[in-house]
Amino acid sequence: MDKLFLLAMNGLIWGLIIALIALGLAIIFGLLDIINLAHGDFFMVGTVLAWATVQSTGSFWLAFIVAPLIGFVLGAAIQRVIIHPLHNAAALSIVATFGLSLILQESVRITYGPTPGRLLSPIPGTIPMFGVDYEIYRLFAAAMAIVALGGFFLFLNYTQIGTWMRAVRHDRETAIAMGIPAGRVYVLTFALGFALAALGGVVAAPITTVDFRGGVDILPFCFMAVIIGGLGNLPGTVAAAVLLSVLEGVIQSVADPTVARIASLVLMSAVLLLRPQGLFKGLTR
Amino acid sequence: MSASLIERVLWLLLAAFMIAVPWVVPALVNAFWVSVIAEILIWSLFAASVNLLFGYVGLLSFGQALYFGFGMYGVAIGIEDLHLSFWPAFGLGVVAAMAMALVTGVFAVRLTWHYFAIITVVFSLIFYFLALTNKWLTGGDDGINFTLPPVISIGGFSASLTDQTFQYFFILAIVALCFWLMQRLIASPLGRAFLAIRENDVRASLIGLNVYLLRLIAFVLAGFLAGVAGALFAFFGRYASASYMFYEVSGEAVVWAIVGGAGTLLGPLVGTTLFIIVREVVSTHWEHHALIVGAVAILVVIFAPKGVVGLWNDWIASLCARGEARADAVELRTEP
Repeated sequence: MDKLFLLAMNGLIWGLIIALIALGLAIIFGLLDIINLAHGDFFMVGTVLAWATVQSTGSFWLAFIVAPLIGFVLGAAIQRVIIHPLHNAAALSIVATFGLSLILQESVRITYGPTPGRLLSPIPGTIPMFGVDYEIYRLFAAAMAIVALGGFFLFLNYTQIGTWMRAVRHDRETAIAMGIPAGRVYVLTFALGFALAALGGVVAAPITTVDFRGGVDILPFCFMAVIIGGLGNLPGTVAAAVLLSVLEGVIQSVADPTVARIASLVLMSAVLLLRPQGLFKGLTR
Repeated sequence: MSASLIERVLWLLLAAFMIAVPWVVPALVNAFWVSVIAEILIWSLFAASVNLLFGYVGLLSFGQALYFGFGMYGVAIGIEDLHLSFWPAFGLGVVAAMAMALVTGVFAVRLTWHYFAIITVVFSLIFYFLALTNKWLTGGDDGINFTLPPVISIGGFSASLTDQTFQYFFILAIVALCFWLMQRLIASPLGRAFLAIRENDVRASLIGLNVYLLRLIAFVLAGFLAGVAGALFAFFGRYASASYMFYEVSGEAVVWAIVGGAGTLLGPLVGTTLFIIVREVVSTHWEHHALIVGAVAILVVIFAPKGVVGLWNDWIASLCARGEARADAVELRTEP
């Protein structure tokens, strides 16, 4: 029972972090029609930036500002230089972001090094919960992810730029005719996507390892959350990420982690075949 | 000079070069490059399986590594566990890949575009993780090593892939045969039906084509190409490993096919050659060759969105059009 609680809790918190990253993937996917194979590496860059911030300033907390900021700037530059010339051609975007993924991984391997490292938890210690000593930092990570997710949805629904983003996704031609600068919205969307993944990386850095290959396992999981949640359904993406991750945690309490991964993949195929419009179509909006 | 004449000359040059490789390449560079070229041939067949689906039927598969892996394991398990000789093991690999493509294809081709890309990657991940956990059968990440049985042994005569030159020609023959079959396929009514589906699946179904069945056939044929490539690679490396079933391997084939030119017969060969040569040349001088590979991928899609072969075809077409315009000045010039 304790093990079940522990793994389900870990799954829940990991799911919230994945939700942050998958949300970035979903807005890029939904607005630019780009299949972003480098998105896992955006997360990985976030974990490395967290490590670099701790190394250079000694403060982990600074990384919560530094990493998303650098991610935002990098994302904007990448959109202008690499993504923009492709005119949203999905097949080409796969090749370009594959190349980008190689460049990001190799750059990190050159600067950070090839051996995975660990970041010490900035809030050491545990707290007793339901008979288990639970790491305090994980609770903080969950809170951080929830705040970021909430902030993003507020931004999307209650600010002018957020409204622009929704308008361009809904109907690009009309949005341009109404005077919305679609080109700038694309840059902003890609930059925000990178920033969200980088923020996810910072939140996750003390829980996971800092490794130049760290994004490779994350990527399929994020795509699954986006698809199971329903393309273009952002709250659905968040729900799917949490659901998948908790499910894996629960299965892990009785079986091997790989078996848990296989189970969630099988669930994923069933959803794709039976409800390709997403698990939550009709529930939200 | 007409475009078809240029094409015929190039084909002859390519064929002559391919046959001369075991003698010319060691003389010009060194013998190591013969095996690099053999490896390029195998991987280009794998990229061709992506190209058959994406370039000719319009389905982007991100899971071809699954069938490549089944081809590999069919051979390795056939030889190591079932003690088969060369050809039955080869056959087992190809049949296993095609059977797997049929079983997964029945479900996968119900979906298109993004959903198809995702379900193929999901299927390949399921079997990748299964292969990782079932170490008793697959050896997991370490894989299965095996010793090569002879290809043919009649009486006192026997030929084995342990002979470098024989191995090269064996791989060349199989790969050339597959490319020839693919060319025949594209020119056949079945190939025309594939193209119709790629252009517009609704119209294709309205003129009476069974879109689902045709997509399934294409999927199994692509599984065949990937399976042959996997079986050849198992013979080439004398082992099979689960790591070749990971989604990154599928992704590389997609990149090779699109960079070379999707929807062209030789596109996968050109793309694969470009990337493997860049990798081999740069990696001997510089450890961080992945930076160059990544940059090449990005530059090609920005400056040659139709791929290298597409760019070349456009260039030849415009060259010929200009020549004809000069020869016949009265003729009105239409859009290139």
